[in-house]
Amino acid sequence: MNKNKASLGYDFIKGFIQENPTFSLAVGMCPTLAVTTSLVNGFWMGVAVIFVLTFSNVFVSLLRKVIPDEIRIPVFIILIATPVVIVELVMKAYMPAMYNILGIFVPLIVVNCIIFHRAEAFAYRNPVLNSAMDALGSGMAFTLNLMLIGGIREFLGTGQIAFGSAVFPKVPLFEPAAVMLTPPGGFITLGALMALLNIAVARASKRKKSESQVG
Amino acid sequence: MEDRLLVTPAPHMKSTKTVQGLMLDVVIALLPAAIAGTILFGFRSLLVILASVASAVASEAIYQKAVKRPVSINDFSAVITGLLLALTLPPDVPVWIPVIGSAFAIVIAKQVFGGLGYNFVNPALAARAFLIAAWPLHMTRDWLNPMTYEALSSATPLVGFNATGQAGLTLTQMLLGQRPGSIGETCILALLLGGLYLIVRDVIDYRIPLGYLGTLALGTWIFGKPGALFQGGALSGVFLGGAFIGAFFMATDYVTSPVTQRGRLYMGIGAGLITLVIRLWGGYPEGVTYAILFMNLVTPLIDNYVIPRYYGSGHDAKARKAAGGETR
Amino acid sequence: MITVIKKMIGGVPVPGKKELSEKSPIEFAGIPGELVLFMSQHIGAPSVASVKPKDQVKRGQIIAEPGGFVSAALHAPTSGVIKAIEPRYHPVLARMSEAIVLEPDGKHEPAENMSPTASDLDGILPEQIRKLAREAGIVGLGGAAFPTSVKLAPPEDKHIDTYLLNGSECEPYLTADHRVMLEQADKVLFGFRALMKASGVKRGIMCIEDNKPDAIEAIKQAMSSYDGLELAVLSARYPRGGEKQLVHAVLGREVPPPPGLPYDVGVLVSNVGTAYALAEAILTGLPLVERVVTVTGEGVAKPSNFKALLGTPLSYLIERAGGFTGTPGKVILGGPMMGRALKSIDVPVLKGTSGILVLTKEQAVEEPILPCVKCGKCIDACPMGLQPLWISAHAERGLMEEAESFRAMDCIECGCCSYICPAKRPLVQWIKMAKADITSRRKAQR
Repeated sequence: MNKNKASLGYDFIKGFIQENPTFSLAVGMCPTLAVTTSLVNGFWMGVAVIFVLTFSNVFVSLLRKVIPDEIRIPVFIILIATPVVIVELVMKAYMPAMYNILGIFVPLIVVNCIIFHRAEAFAYRNPVLNSAMDALGSGMAFTLNLMLIGGIREFLGTGQIAFGSAVFPKVPLFEPAAVMLTPPGGFITLGALMALLNIAVARASKRKKSESQVG
Repeated sequence: MEDRLLVTPAPHMKSTKTVQGLMLDVVIALLPAAIAGTILFGFRSLLVILASVASAVASEAIYQKAVKRPVSINDFSAVITGLLLALTLPPDVPVWIPVIGSAFAIVIAKQVFGGLGYNFVNPALAARAFLIAAWPLHMTRDWLNPMTYEALSSATPLVGFNATGQAGLTLTQMLLGQRPGSIGETCILALLLGGLYLIVRDVIDYRIPLGYLGTLALGTWIFGKPGALFQGGALSGVFLGGAFIGAFFMATDYVTSPVTQRGRLYMGIGAGLITLVIRLWGGYPEGVTYAILFMNLVTPLIDNYVIPRYYGSGHDAKARKAAGGETR
Repeated sequence: MITVIKKMIGGVPVPGKKELSEKSPIEFAGIPGELVLFMSQHIGAPSVASVKPKDQVKRGQIIAEPGGFVSAALHAPTSGVIKAIEPRYHPVLARMSEAIVLEPDGKHEPAENMSPTASDLDGILPEQIRKLAREAGIVGLGGAAFPTSVKLAPPEDKHIDTYLLNGSECEPYLTADHRVMLEQADKVLFGFRALMKASGVKRGIMCIEDNKPDAIEAIKQAMSSYDGLELAVLSARYPRGGEKQLVHAVLGREVPPPPGLPYDVGVLVSNVGTAYALAEAILTGLPLVERVVTVTGEGVAKPSNFKALLGTPLSYLIERAGGFTGTPGKVILGGPMMGRALKSIDVPVLKGTSGILVLTKEQAVEEPILPCVKCGKCIDACPMGLQPLWISAHAERGLMEEAESFRAMDCIECGCCSYICPAKRPLVQWIKMAKADITSRRKAQR
């Protein structure tokens, strides 16, 4: 029981560092590069993914004993397509502007690697609660990543960051670098963040090692 | 006493060539162009050059300190990168442009890949491409008229040349660099002086500039005049724009050009072709940057397939023939 | 006017440094207090001692028999007593190795059975020359020390049409061959004709680099009285004297890749010193007990060319050359390009020792190794048309199959790549490691 609780926590937390979908697993690259031209875009894309991921993880986990191994991929697709259609229709109905910006990348969540990866690698062989925690962790980490990349690109590429109609700072502090809003800018930001996370992880594990040697 | 004898593997004699010496030669070879640029476009351009070099050297030192690698700014490679980048910038750009550009060149294009010897594209050109994408207006409008130092209101001569096949400049003007353009690209004589110095000193292989400029001149002669073949201005084609500085100083960068003599010729020809295509049929007025960057990326492929003829290979070829053309 | 042959793949122009010792006539070095004669100083099986400690020996008396077909005999360089047969430090093998230690008595008394075989080549048969070369323990004196009697009997199916005598001496500093050609032109040509006769080759070409005009003149004069001998003058460029390079430059033929040898394209190549030693053996009966050694470099006071008894300690020769100037930085057995740096000068002259080079402290500096900048200069310099940068890069990472696919085994270890490298990378060293690894793996497969 205790162990299960601990592992529930771990399943949630591991998505942020060890199994960070963007920076350490490098999955879900398409939306990561395509929609992260602003912080807000990144946020809504992330929310959509959280919903789909949680839905699909929970149902894959629930049905994992009855899904025949040979046809599990088609079954996964059905289980994933359902929430994607829900998300698509809801967005279309209530936030058409954002739906227009994210465009094709919303329906494309169906083939997003993160969803598949978590379904295949985790939900298919773990209990429901763990799978839900895993989905929430991965999804939130993904959202944070998109917001981070989007925020950096928006700030460098326009000189400002917009929250709805509020813009900060009012006047750009510097001449914005248009390249940051283009795909190369996405790659550069992604690469730099990936490198920083790797450095951080390497330093942390080095410190852990030297501590354990002392102990 | 005897245990103090140095024991190292043969050879015990080494040539006087060093990486530092070769790089210093490149810096020396770039000085005429830098001086010509300063004379043609005024004090501002000297400021751009100094800012660029300073930023490149500082970025290298700071990055290497930060990641705890030995600081190698004394090998002059950062100086070259800074100098090269500055010479390809319009003379009237704000000073922060070369500063950011050089930092990008050193940190993103060179050091994160492992530093000198491991970068896969020419850092100065990568930075130039970045700057064009980031601040396109500065990079395509901040021209000055030579000697008068006044801002240019029209397009550079290359734009007109690409459209009409007419350079509108005399040969002397082109050789002396009396045209609007990047700081170091206009004075052909200065570039030629530096380039020949490098060839004579056996620093660069003549095959890259020869293949590059030859292909570009030939192609411009054939296709350079709209609506007519074989009437284009071959000389104007290589003298206008950045082909000269690119061919002698950018495409010849050791790390990002092929290691074999034949491969270098292919690199030159390839860069010449791409430049031609971009200029005449592409969306940009100038294609030197992208042509060389593209050939940088193709360099490993060239090195993979272009293999020098080895001693005794005739016997292997004969043996293969004798075995019925069967290859292993 | 003789045309100078310049043909060569790659190669590097090296500073000759010959002026240090090229004007010093060959002098007899003298008899040191102890001679050390290794059983292994040639390619092939070690010799087998035929004397015991305390035996009295005379100059030219056989002290070890060949240990197999590819092997060589050893003779006493001077008269004296066998002090011991024991392991000593071998400077080339870089380990302890069995050696005969001879204590000279200073009388330099020749053995009774030592007598001329013939005074001209008409009175001697090819088989006799080959037998004599074997009995006299003659090996290639250019450095590889391959038994000459074996070289003179190539496989039946090889049709040999040309014999090259290699007097190019392309290693900087060394002048031993130069002085031999200058002072003993007649004997060199006599030995050359003996080599040709023994192998049944009609066409002989003397090959000399154009930086030795006086030797060329001397050989040209001595040559005028013979038919069938030609002279090839070659531009001075390292590694001109590599046998594959020589065959290519002089005859335009390329030796097949390993295990190809010059005889595969109908050529035999010997060194000037070998011809001279064979001439001595025929004309005086003296077996190979001494050789010409250049003791040179900025680190010795009086660079000289010595006729040294085999087994003479290097320390003795350096002393005879006026000793060190200041503290020596590096002592090299052989030339600067392919020679071996020694940790001690208490090692003897071997049959393959053409020179002793002493560099000063200032010359012997270790330069830091920088990353490869891919300048391609090593490719342009490689006389075998290889790509040393890739071979060494793979060898450095332990990827020996990759190194092999880049033709590592073709390398002749001349060192041009390491010489030219601006990043001072030890390219040839990595390639040698790859070769050793590939060879041992091939052996294991068999």
